[in-house]
Amino acid sequence: MKIGILSKRKGHFTGEIQKHLEIRGHEVKILTANNLNINEMLLNRDLYILKSKHLLYLYAGYFLEANMIPVIPNTNISYIHKNRVESYFSMKNMGLLCPKIFMGTFKTLKSQLQESSFPLISKPMLGSGSRDVKVYNSLQDFNVPTENYLYLENFIKGTHYLAYFIGNEICICEKRPLSNEHQDTELIESDKEIEKYLIKWKEKYNLLFGHLDLVRETNTNKLYVVDSGTFPEFTNWKRDSDPTSKICDLILKEYRALKN
Amino acid sequence: MIKIGFITDRYHLEKKSVQFLNYIKNLANISIYVEEDYLINFSNYYFDEDIFFVKAKGDLVLNLVKLIEHETDIPVINSSKSISLAFNRFLNSVVLRKAGIPVPNFSLNPVGLSPPFNEYIIKNIMDQKNYAFIPQFQKKEGYLRVVDVRAINETSGNYPKYTHLYYQEFIKSKWEYKVYFIGDDLFYFRQLPVLINPDKMESRIKIERIPELSEMAYSATEAIGLKISSMDFLKSKDGNYFLTDINASPNFNYIKNGPKIIGDYLIKQAKL
Repeated sequence: MKIGILSKRKGHFTGEIQKHLEIRGHEVKILTANNLNINEMLLNRDLYILKSKHLLYLYAGYFLEANMIPVIPNTNISYIHKNRVESYFSMKNMGLLCPKIFMGTFKTLKSQLQESSFPLISKPMLGSGSRDVKVYNSLQDFNVPTENYLYLENFIKGTHYLAYFIGNEICICEKRPLSNEHQDTELIESDKEIEKYLIKWKEKYNLLFGHLDLVRETNTNKLYVVDSGTFPEFTNWKRDSDPTSKICDLILKEYRALKN
Repeated sequence: MIKIGFITDRYHLEKKSVQFLNYIKNLANISIYVEEDYLINFSNYYFDEDIFFVKAKGDLVLNLVKLIEHETDIPVINSSKSISLAFNRFLNSVVLRKAGIPVPNFSLNPVGLSPPFNEYIIKNIMDQKNYAFIPQFQKKEGYLRVVDVRAINETSGNYPKYTHLYYQEFIKSKWEYKVYFIGDDLFYFRQLPVLINPDKMESRIKIERIPELSEMAYSATEAIGLKISSMDFLKSKDGNYFLTDINASPNFNYIKNGPKIIGDYLIKQAKL
């Protein structure tokens, strides 16, 4: 089978997936920003794996799906989880708790936000992880004059978790606040509420794998979802199983199901 | 009296909406939401409007519309999804072609890699800002290439916004056809292509209904989800029409009685 991987990188987990699929006899090409032409030339492959959620790869995904080429994970679901406002409404509709969110120009936010809304954290509108995030503890601290608009969330003080799932297998780790996926974490044997959140989210979108970032608030013990992703790197997967082979199996199984 | 929420930005409020607001103020209560001044609080809001009308396409406007769509049953014209699709040239080309509407061939390529057709126009991927089309003409190996300077600017400099350019195959056409769509009504105009005469209004004339354009305009607005729109069409040498641009925020002052037609339509669509 001819498989394309839409990814911003060639190495890391993408490289491992390529290697694994090639060993199994597939012809695999990784398409990055340097060699991705989105036009009819893309339609000569049987399946695409949407590894990165940057807009460029989502464009490719939408184009391919419109031309009946399977894309896994689904492009629109990847978009919903990349866009913070879409993701907020999606989580809220499922009954999962999310931090309060605000948007506006810097001037508007500075003049209209109440001191009681702080601490707040600014995040890029499209994105995931801890890149370009900043915490503001008070209105006085909130001082980032910019012409652009800002997206802000209540910053929840508590214990932070990185929770993965691949198929029915779950891996929950405690992590340092605002750390990225690749930094050290500690495996948690079990947390029923986090597991419930993961299963609910997975079932709602029929996801094969993914992750949630969560925070359990110290004062209230409430559990908040603060980020989601359809295709993490699984750097902190601490179960015995190999994430690469598990994910490739799930993708190929899903491909066969889509074709039948 | 019904209440209309008008969601806009300063540019559209000051430059494009005066006639509309003058017409509607005697027929409806108006609340105005200006992008540059409005704080979107997603967990503390109150909307009592009977309908919202959106005349802007900035990110804050779109997210305010998303909040209204998710949390209320108040109709919004146009929807956030349709506005986003309309200003994203690449995505609307994908959706329109899938719906069977003839659009010129298109390609999204890394800067420096040519598309699979010879004559083309490079446009900005997202036509979201309030600035004008700045064309540059090039003739290479006998082929015509038109470049929108905005698109090139967005891929250059220290912090390029995009790595890719949107290419649309160039359609040679004597006229450009402009069709306005409001509710179920279509208004037809013809003008010299903007590439020949940048002052589009100088040559614009009202024309009779063209059945092919009518069918394409209804299908296109349905595919994108627009209730109010303007569309640009070109006619190729072999007589086929192509939809080259679709807009969610048309300047309805260019239609005779445009502000009245829009106002009356909104009142009719308001939540009962």
